[in-house]
Amino acid sequence: MSHHLFLLSPSDTPLYSLTHYSTKPAPSVTSPLASNLPTWSTSAFAGTLTALSGASSATQHTTGGAVRMGGGQDRHVIQMIANASLDVIEDIMRKENTMYLKSVDKFNEWTVSAFITAGNMKFILLHEGKNDDGIRAFFVDVWELYVKTMLNPFHTAHTPIRSAVFDGRVRASAKKYL
Amino acid sequence: MDTHAFASLAHVRILLVPVGSIPQSLFEKYAAEIRSFDSIRLGDIPADAKDEKARFMPSPLSTGHLHLSFPTHPPPLSHSPLTLFRPSHFPLAVIGIASCSQDESLASLHSQFNDSLLDAFPAGGIFPLARNCFVFETEGSATSLNTGDNMPGLVVLPSMMGNKRLYIGTLLADLCSHILGEFGVVVQVLESPLGNEHLNSTTLPVLPPLSDIPPPLNSDAKGDALPPILTHNSQPEVSKNFKISPAPSMKRNSSSGPYFRQSALSVQAPRKRMSTIGTASSHGRLYKVLGDFFLLAGRIEDSVIWYTEALQLFKNSHDPIWHASALEGIATASIIESWSAGHGLHNSTAATKEPWSDVSEKLHQATALYFKPPTVDGESIHSLLAYLYACCVLRHASLLFSVWSAKGWGPLAFTTMLQPGPKPYLPPTLSYTESDSWLNLERLSSISGISRTSISSVLASLHGPWLLHLGFRERIAILEATASIYACLGYKRKEAYILREVLGCIMDLMVCGREEDGATTSSIPTTAGLGLHNFNPTPGSGYGPTVGVRLSESSDGNVSILILLKYVCKVLGINLDAVQLAPSDTDSTVAEDMSASILKYDNEAVEEHHEPYGWPELQVGVVREAIAVAEALPDFPAVAQFALSSLRTLQSVLLPADQYHLYSTSMRAFTTARRRGDTRAIEYWSGRPVISIALSPLPLLRLPIEKSASALRAVSSDVAPLLQGATDPFLYNPRKQGIAKGKAIVVQNETLEFVVILQNPYVFDLDLQSISLSTSGVPFDSQPTRVTIPANSIHELIISGRATDIGSLVIRGCRVQAPGGTAREYILPLFTTEEEERLSRNRSSLACETGRIKYTGLDSFPWTRAIKRQSKQVDASSRSSFRFLECKVVPEQPLLRIRRTTVTHGAVMLYDGETSTIRITLENVSNLPIDFVRLAFEDSTILPAQQLLSEGTLSVFETYETEYDLIHRPVFTWDKEEARPISPGQSLTLTLTCFGKVGCTNGTVHISYSLSNGAGTEDSDVFYTRQLSYPLMVTVYNMLECSGMDILPFPSHYHLQDHESCNRRSRRKQLSVDDGTEWCLFSIDVRNMYGSPFDVTFERIQEGAPSATSGATIPPGSMSRIVIPIKKIILSDEELLKPIPTLSDRQFVVASSKLSTEETRRQRELFWYREALFNCVKGKWHETGGTRSGELSLRQQRMTLPMLETFRQGAARVQMKLCAEESENVTTSNGRYFPKPNEFVYLTTQVTNLTALSLIFTLDLDLGPLDCVIHEGVLSDLGIGRLESGESKEVVTAICFLANGRFDISAHVRAFDAPHLDGRAAKGQLTAIVEGEM
Repeated sequence: MSHHLFLLSPSDTPLYSLTHYSTKPAPSVTSPLASNLPTWSTSAFAGTLTALSGASSATQHTTGGAVRMGGGQDRHVIQMIANASLDVIEDIMRKENTMYLKSVDKFNEWTVSAFITAGNMKFILLHEGKNDDGIRAFFVDVWELYVKTMLNPFHTAHTPIRSAVFDGRVRASAKKYL
Repeated sequence: MDTHAFASLAHVRILLVPVGSIPQSLFEKYAAEIRSFDSIRLGDIPADAKDEKARFMPSPLSTGHLHLSFPTHPPPLSHSPLTLFRPSHFPLAVIGIASCSQDESLASLHSQFNDSLLDAFPAGGIFPLARNCFVFETEGSATSLNTGDNMPGLVVLPSMMGNKRLYIGTLLADLCSHILGEFGVVVQVLESPLGNEHLNSTTLPVLPPLSDIPPPLNSDAKGDALPPILTHNSQPEVSKNFKISPAPSMKRNSSSGPYFRQSALSVQAPRKRMSTIGTASSHGRLYKVLGDFFLLAGRIEDSVIWYTEALQLFKNSHDPIWHASALEGIATASIIESWSAGHGLHNSTAATKEPWSDVSEKLHQATALYFKPPTVDGESIHSLLAYLYACCVLRHASLLFSVWSAKGWGPLAFTTMLQPGPKPYLPPTLSYTESDSWLNLERLSSISGISRTSISSVLASLHGPWLLHLGFRERIAILEATASIYACLGYKRKEAYILREVLGCIMDLMVCGREEDGATTSSIPTTAGLGLHNFNPTPGSGYGPTVGVRLSESSDGNVSILILLKYVCKVLGINLDAVQLAPSDTDSTVAEDMSASILKYDNEAVEEHHEPYGWPELQVGVVREAIAVAEALPDFPAVAQFALSSLRTLQSVLLPADQYHLYSTSMRAFTTARRRGDTRAIEYWSGRPVISIALSPLPLLRLPIEKSASALRAVSSDVAPLLQGATDPFLYNPRKQGIAKGKAIVVQNETLEFVVILQNPYVFDLDLQSISLSTSGVPFDSQPTRVTIPANSIHELIISGRATDIGSLVIRGCRVQAPGGTAREYILPLFTTEEEERLSRNRSSLACETGRIKYTGLDSFPWTRAIKRQSKQVDASSRSSFRFLECKVVPEQPLLRIRRTTVTHGAVMLYDGETSTIRITLENVSNLPIDFVRLAFEDSTILPAQQLLSEGTLSVFETYETEYDLIHRPVFTWDKEEARPISPGQSLTLTLTCFGKVGCTNGTVHISYSLSNGAGTEDSDVFYTRQLSYPLMVTVYNMLECSGMDILPFPSHYHLQDHESCNRRSRRKQLSVDDGTEWCLFSIDVRNMYGSPFDVTFERIQEGAPSATSGATIPPGSMSRIVIPIKKIILSDEELLKPIPTLSDRQFVVASSKLSTEETRRQRELFWYREALFNCVKGKWHETGGTRSGELSLRQQRMTLPMLETFRQGAARVQMKLCAEESENVTTSNGRYFPKPNEFVYLTTQVTNLTALSLIFTLDLDLGPLDCVIHEGVLSDLGIGRLESGESKEVVTAICFLANGRFDISAHVRAFDAPHLDGRAAKGQLTAIVEGEM
């Protein structure tokens, strides 16, 4: 089961992203509708279509050099989904006063949870299963790490986070909670 | 296109097809007329059918409506398995529209109509149930009206007919009546056991053609008392023929309206019949079909009954698809019922639940059922199942959406849901501008009670891999509907996601369509996944690398696809229109409006400071896709535009490889577009390429200098500027050039060079097809150049040209043009203080915003943000601070060069004080005469002296010396008379005098020249000169050094007659003077510090005395004293009272020294006597055995007070002598007296008044040692009495020397009561040597 975390600046630019593969098995909610998918054509656009509709998870093995675990979701599609979910997040965050927005959106097989900081940073997590408490704890951890990063006077709301320490700690937290 | 209206299940579809050669506009017109009937009252439908056909006919008094929709296309053949499952999906009738203006016979029209129907519908299908062809007669057609009557299904509408609409309504009602009749026939077949078996055979059964159903079945059915059931009226009381009690249905329908319940009381459910037919299968499906047909027939109550029955059956049997479909049907029915029942205005059930929650719940169930279809066998079933699922989700979403957009449950919501029509219907709450603002959308949510999120989450369940099952057409339609709902919700990013899929779908169709044509191979490599990541540029693999096949592709619709692309990109933060396509590049050199270009300049200045926005990875991916789409269309200008736009806007996030790829793609696309005859050009794209423009400084030789015309008239001889140095002493001073007032002066018709600094932030070499200066003012003749800016670097380019007229040349900026693009002007104002301030204000206002996050998400994109900021923008009037680089073009100027000089190697070697001459020959190399030549000089001694002077710390005396040095002893001088006009080609020789001055190391000769009375300068008060400079190395040897100047009294014992024997000695001879008391001796030590001997001569030039010289040859390293007698002088009081002059006219505000009047007087005396001394003694040197000579300056020497007193002539002359007796003289030798001791001698002191006044003198005598002398009377203040001018008087004093030895006797004569003569006390001296025995 994989998780995708994005830290988005207020202008929707990702400052940090993480793909985490947890050992927990992904819940398989498959519909017979999604079986026996046809391959209509071989054009590049059909490939795009396949990927965007979420059907590529079964067929795609490697496109880059690295072996993809967990079915190998297309990174671009993941990003598209995360980006699209901002619509709902922006809508909900105006009405709710909690920082943690649980399962705010669903698209294809992904559930989107989000965490909004006071500075309008959005932490977006794409996950497949249900793990409310874990995700909440994970978000709080990431938030703390992010706040510590923001203490750096040279760090603005638009500075990408490239700190290895930050990365390491987020990964550790992900391993712990997700 | 399919519109997925909510109530599509209740829509009777009537397909409109054109027949014959009817023009499109005409067809549209008639179709619109027919479409205006979106519902027909049941009461209007003629119910003339009998037996089974009458089953679905409405009763004449019924109040329901038949809802019509008029699709433009029949469903695809692959949907035929749905015929029984969803009859509303198919056109139940076809109307052909023909116009008979042409000379076509109606018969041929009719046959054409039938042929087209055969094309559209398979022969074996049930549908269409009815067909008709409307022939509209147009004006002037000659076809007879009557022929139409002969042909069934062909109606002619005469053009003369007044109320055509009414007629069409009647025709439609007839058609509907026909349809309803056919329903009865179909149902009759299905009710037969065989039919029911067919119905239950597969998941989506197909009814074989009616002809295939064995006739015995029909007859059997009739025998089984079926016909009586199918009376022409299917009202409940007629259904009493059913023998089964409908009790269970009553309970199930308890929620229905009371009217319905009442009528349902008497319904006898057809259970008995079921047991008789087809025992093998359940009747659920049959009931559901009946429900469908009743729904279509507008008989809601009946349909609800049948649906309820069906649901009851499906609960037990596992038939999820049909179950779900029945749920959908009943949901639709309830909405239509609400609509018809007073439009839901008086809804009373809303107390606890929202009125739509029931419907929504049913649809939710249906969705869940569709999601888990039975395991099926056939491949084609999959696509239909997915289609049904998607339709159901859309139905659910559109229910919520309609209620939401209609501000709640009400007529508007029903209208939205019922709206048929080929075009999607947008309720008025969403169709006004600004309706997509968050506030408005949220208002809808709070009014309706449906949050946007809930609609979106329903809609999101539509999306999934199963969409791939769908055929293209359905997929596009469903995605479009999804996207439009997202758009209306204001979820732009989700909309963009879906639109990408729509685009992908369309493009896939296009590409595949081409492949099927077999004319070409796809240019896009086949990839798994998204196809973006490994999209590799394969130049040349375009359309037919080997075969030059050019397809004449139709470009219809390309524009729409591009618009869609741009929209998607814009949502993701890429402005694909950042670089515009210009219509043509023919003549775009028209100067832009000033304010517009300034605005552009400002925007670009701002653009550099925007903060990052959007998702870079996504942006790059989408851009790649956009380019791939545009390439596949193919629309090559768009490819180039997209590639360049993204290069420009995404430059900071693009990888080098991407940048390179985009650039090469754009260039390739552009050449292709050109080849294909596209004349559109791209505006200049690469950001601001020009960093700065500067006029490269002209060589000094050519630089014209502006001079005031007064310099022509007054040949300046004043020395003030030379001494002060503050104002420029020279006609030209290169150091001052940098402070020029911003306007460079250039010469007409001479080549100017501008240094243009260009930048290229990209990783590829940027090719600029042409770059030229954009100028205003006087015409500037310059050729555009082509330049390639290396990757990632700053490049310097020199553009040269000529100004062809006199006046002001303004360089506004640069005009650049990329290959194949249009030219674009980039203005470049000077960075004046105001401009800097303005820019920094802009920058800081931006910086202020970047710190805080004011706009988030999509609002943070620059284009939306700019709109919000617009109100704060300062108006254009404050931009007056713009100034451009300006050059003043002056008339043509002559040019001079130095042809030759007498100086070798540019170096001059001089001894100190030596004077030599240099000759410089100038040649006029221009074709203009020169009438003004002026020389100015500069040397290395001037500046230090000027600095000393300007510091002001020097004493008056030193100041004078310095100034004297500067003015009277310049290193270079020339004779102004030598300056003559030089005509073209002629030359002029000038002679310069060069004076050796210690400390001078180099010097420069500046020759200014001009054509002063040439054209254009008569009226103006300025003219222009040019300058030649000739630098010289100067070496000055300081070989002789003077020191120890002194002035001694002339010895009184000296008498010419004593030394006549010595006259032969030349040096002594020089000393010969007539009278010792009038003279003094000037002596000076001269040292030779050089390696060769020099003859040094001092010359006396004194009034009233013969000139004399005294000289010596001084060998190297030695020093000689040179003595020359000079006559004492006396300066008049007026002369002495003059202050020490300053040679410059600078003002002394405060006297620098605080001297008393006495001191001042003394200083002035010293000064003036020194000047007098230097006037009369001149030193000269001559190289021994050589030819070089020069003067020796005494100016370094100081004059002391004793020297002054010696040099100055006294007020009186004192002559003393000793006499033994009155007659006898004391022996003298060498001026010394040798009196005897102890004898009285007489000291005679003769005093002569030398002044012009009569004065009283007193005499002081001083004898020493006094102890050994006896004298008569007193020695001090001896009164002499008044002496007239020139009168003399003797005073005799008797003295006696008492001891042997030397006695010095001196006499001081002072004028009494004349303080101004105090300093001029005369002195006499006498030495007596007393020898002898005592």
